[in-house]
Amino acid sequence: MAEREHSIYFDPGKCIACVACAQACPTHAVRVREGMARLKPELCIDCGACIDACRYDAARARTSTPADLRRFKYTVAIPSMTFYAQFGREVMPEQILHALTHVGFDAFYDMSWMVEMVAGATDAWISECRGPWPRISVTCPAIVRLIQIRYPDLLDHLVPIETPRELAAKLLRRKLVAELRLQPEEVGIFFVTQCTAIMNSILAPVGLDQSYLDGAFGINELYGPVLKALSHGEPAERELGALAASESVSRAGLMWAMSGGEISGMRNANTMTVSGVREVMGTFDRIESGKYRNVDFIEAYVCPGGCVSGCLVIEERYIAQRTVQQIGRRLRGQNSVKEEKIRGLLRDHFFAMEDEIKARPVHAIPRDLRQAIAWKRERSALLDRLPRKDCGACGAPDCGTHAEDCLSGESSEDGCVFVRIANLEKTPAETRGNER
Amino acid sequence: MNGDAPPLPAPGEEVLYSESFPIRGNDFEHGGSVAARVKVILKQLGIPSDSIRHLSISNFEAEMNVIMYADEATLELQVLSGEVRVILADRGPGIVDLDLAMQEGYSTATPEMRQRGFGAGLGLPNIKRNSDVFSITSTVGVGTTLRYAVQFEA
Repeated sequence: MAEREHSIYFDPGKCIACVACAQACPTHAVRVREGMARLKPELCIDCGACIDACRYDAARARTSTPADLRRFKYTVAIPSMTFYAQFGREVMPEQILHALTHVGFDAFYDMSWMVEMVAGATDAWISECRGPWPRISVTCPAIVRLIQIRYPDLLDHLVPIETPRELAAKLLRRKLVAELRLQPEEVGIFFVTQCTAIMNSILAPVGLDQSYLDGAFGINELYGPVLKALSHGEPAERELGALAASESVSRAGLMWAMSGGEISGMRNANTMTVSGVREVMGTFDRIESGKYRNVDFIEAYVCPGGCVSGCLVIEERYIAQRTVQQIGRRLRGQNSVKEEKIRGLLRDHFFAMEDEIKARPVHAIPRDLRQAIAWKRERSALLDRLPRKDCGACGAPDCGTHAEDCLSGESSEDGCVFVRIANLEKTPAETRGNER
Repeated sequence: MNGDAPPLPAPGEEVLYSESFPIRGNDFEHGGSVAARVKVILKQLGIPSDSIRHLSISNFEAEMNVIMYADEATLELQVLSGEVRVILADRGPGIVDLDLAMQEGYSTATPEMRQRGFGAGLGLPNIKRNSDVFSITSTVGVGTTLRYAVQFEA
């Protein structure tokens, strides 16, 4: 995967080469080289851990800009469920949707009903499917990437159902083209997201040839303008918005903003929720070793607590969770989607992914067994000579990764400051003098 | 009964890589850690993922057997061209009736163990099912030695 397909980049003007990002990265995809953090594109899953870790604002998200909107005749914003949780419990989703038309979009589109449809479809699909168990959700795109590079054996466990945002954008474009008599390419459909992995899923989709979305704005960028639009709105309009919200936004859909939301709407399945990338990796390790075969469905998120703690949010995670619960209580309770209808659409492949999700293994180790053993022995020997302090001063996140970088020729043993000091101490003082 | 016999490769065979891991009885705190370490090694050696999966299932079962029933054991991992072999020799009570122990559903687990999700009586049969080669020898009052291997295309 090319670097430009990733939604994360490092700003050379701001990066101070401190290795916090490299050490935070769950897939060891960042190195600090020549005074600057650099991405190893084949390893990056766009989870945004580096953005959260960076104290200097140097790890940045590649998101859409107002200039992108000008490429289209008609633009629509589709907010993520998490966006609804950013403005406190007094502001209802419908008001937020209306505010989006004051910040540069021609229209808004609420996809919560599609989220509810997809939850129902997943439920129905699982009830009809036979192993391998447990099935794993594809909702978190960073999880899908993680499985592609680290857990190729678990690819068969993924639920092959397209995400609500892509399905919503696909339907919406068709509808707008028919209603407004526009060409498909004249309609710009933009997601409003908490998540760099979703940005990446638009730039370089998995399970889909090309995204139905034209781009995505970070919640952090739209928060300010939307907040202003909300406070400037006419009281009557605000009142209207709150009323309309109870009519259209799905409570079951809104719940997807946080972990546990996806399974909360499922009726048939025996389910489990995991969140936080390291916990998820622990769970995947255990699935690989044959555990959890009695679980039907695992909802897994790279971000702790689910999408509400995405790297592009403004509202604090716990407050956002509370907001989701409280707004949810004010929304219409009963499911608005009929199970029979969903089963029919499922049979018609409406929810099906267009492409197969393929493995993207990263081959650092030689394929030949004898060479691989030699590689492993060299790695162990090298690691024995390194301090194992995992300080990151060499630019790699830990000593093990530094050893691997040395073996691949990307770095050298004396890239380690401790090795360099030890070498200096070994050299007698007089020879050091002579060298000078 | 040859519970103490050293694991010798057959003539002409070459063990390319081996490593031993001690396991202590009752060490629930580290339960599964040897299986996890072996998995990392097998991944580093580029062993086919399917074989790693089968071995990981067996290693976990075997490791938990030691933790639940034996005093201590050593798990020896041997990697040969086209085969990964595991020899797990424990010092412990041994198994009185091997045929019975190999039956699905048979278990001597205590209610406490069952409460933790163990003791379904699937351990040894599960290891056998996930292995291409399997043997077990046991001496009551001395210990049990388990050997299993998974083969793959070299």
